[in-house]
Amino acid sequence: MSYDRKSIPDLGIDESAKRLTPEKIEKTINAVLKGTGARLKAYLETCIHCALCSEACHYYLSHDKDPSYSPVAKVKMTLWEMVKKKGKVDADFIRQCSRIAYTECNRCRRCSLYCPYGIDIWYLMALVRRICLLLKVVPQYQMDTNYSHSATLNMMWLKQDDWVDTVQWQEEEVRMDYPTARIPFDKEGAEIMYTPIAPEPKFKPQLLAATAKIFHAAGVDWTMPSFDGWDNSDISMHSADFETMARVERKHFEAAIKLKVKRIVMCE
Amino acid sequence: MYDVIKDPSLYNFVRGPLVWIGFLVFIGGSIYKIRELILLAKKEKTVIPFLDLKFSLRSILHWALPFNSVNWRKRWVMTVMTFLFHICLVFTPIFLLSHNVLWHESWSITWWTLPEGLADIMTIIVIITSIFFFLRRILAPEVRFVTFTSDYLILAIAFVPFLTGFLAYHQLLFPYNVMVILHMISGSAMLIAIPFTRLGHMFYFFFTRAYLGSEVGFRRGTDW
Repeated sequence: MSYDRKSIPDLGIDESAKRLTPEKIEKTINAVLKGTGARLKAYLETCIHCALCSEACHYYLSHDKDPSYSPVAKVKMTLWEMVKKKGKVDADFIRQCSRIAYTECNRCRRCSLYCPYGIDIWYLMALVRRICLLLKVVPQYQMDTNYSHSATLNMMWLKQDDWVDTVQWQEEEVRMDYPTARIPFDKEGAEIMYTPIAPEPKFKPQLLAATAKIFHAAGVDWTMPSFDGWDNSDISMHSADFETMARVERKHFEAAIKLKVKRIVMCE
Repeated sequence: MYDVIKDPSLYNFVRGPLVWIGFLVFIGGSIYKIRELILLAKKEKTVIPFLDLKFSLRSILHWALPFNSVNWRKRWVMTVMTFLFHICLVFTPIFLLSHNVLWHESWSITWWTLPEGLADIMTIIVIITSIFFFLRRILAPEVRFVTFTSDYLILAIAFVPFLTGFLAYHQLLFPYNVMVILHMISGSAMLIAIPFTRLGHMFYFFFTRAYLGSEVGFRRGTDW
């Protein structure tokens, strides 16, 4: 048994892998590994390769227990190899790492709860994602979402007028049923700031109306920011783009501070 | 070959200096590795602030009891085998009569001793469970996929002292003095190997569990 997969073309992985050089790969891997500490060391020196994490993984279970989908196997095929070869790996290997870390693990962390040692395999896969991100070998859709966060601070490339327009449109819809209902924008000192995720205004605006109806019926003192920080999602965290992740989170909390609300309530 | 074996200087070496080396490297190496880990953890922003004594102990206890966690129940054969293996591996050498006699002869100290019959059964358990782990490495596809030569080596390091001890006690295969010398060499090798191989999970276990247990507790969850 080995890592045997049907080839799936992906611009984000294939095209950017062509631009890699061995020096760049080695430098990036070693820079990321140098920034780690006690956790990576303890995890590498503790894992006894027992594979008891396997049955935690839904990829493993849904591929008829193919051993190459087990969590420990994913670490073996990516991080152990990088550590063992001290970063001297080729572009094809990085492509494979990107595919494993981004598309065969969705970082649900069940495996950590199945591991007798409590090894945080999620953290190890995040390191692999971080390396792939810095090398820009990331599935195109994932990278696009990441760029959206970077440029607009929401995950769906929504501009501010799109957002404001959508919410006001939904407010009109709500008022058809409840004439006094409102979706209050920028209400300073409200009890709660409610934040959706960007796919709601983008694809399912009626969810915003449904939420407004619930808040209206419950008589909640609520508000939403009309400015950046209204999206509570942060896909950059999943891409291990920690710089963008921090910007998005900061903006979210700053919106709450600016509106002087007591609590943030997030959808989902 | 038998002249070398009969020469008491080899026996005296493995009985004396080698055991000293074994214990000193084991204790010194373990302290060094734990200290190194703690110093590294202090540098990492997210480790120490998460650590919580209550959640750490809860997590360690949760997994130290057989059939307590979800995965221990799911993999019950493995659970039985691994608990038997580790209990017998740790306690047989500490409370074995022959070892205690040696401690008494050297330092005039004594403590509890296991009945010889029970100690014999516990040794056989270590041997059988080691064979189980070996077969599991070969036969279970998910384990075979992540097995390296080092995995067989560390299993052998743990297994050989018990095999040679058992054979020496029952005076099988080789003459007693040959077997007991092999036993002492392999025993010291195991002590020396613990801090510097993945056998170090003996103490790393408490640290990795403490961290994950604390994080789970911090997020108001419970260990599975």
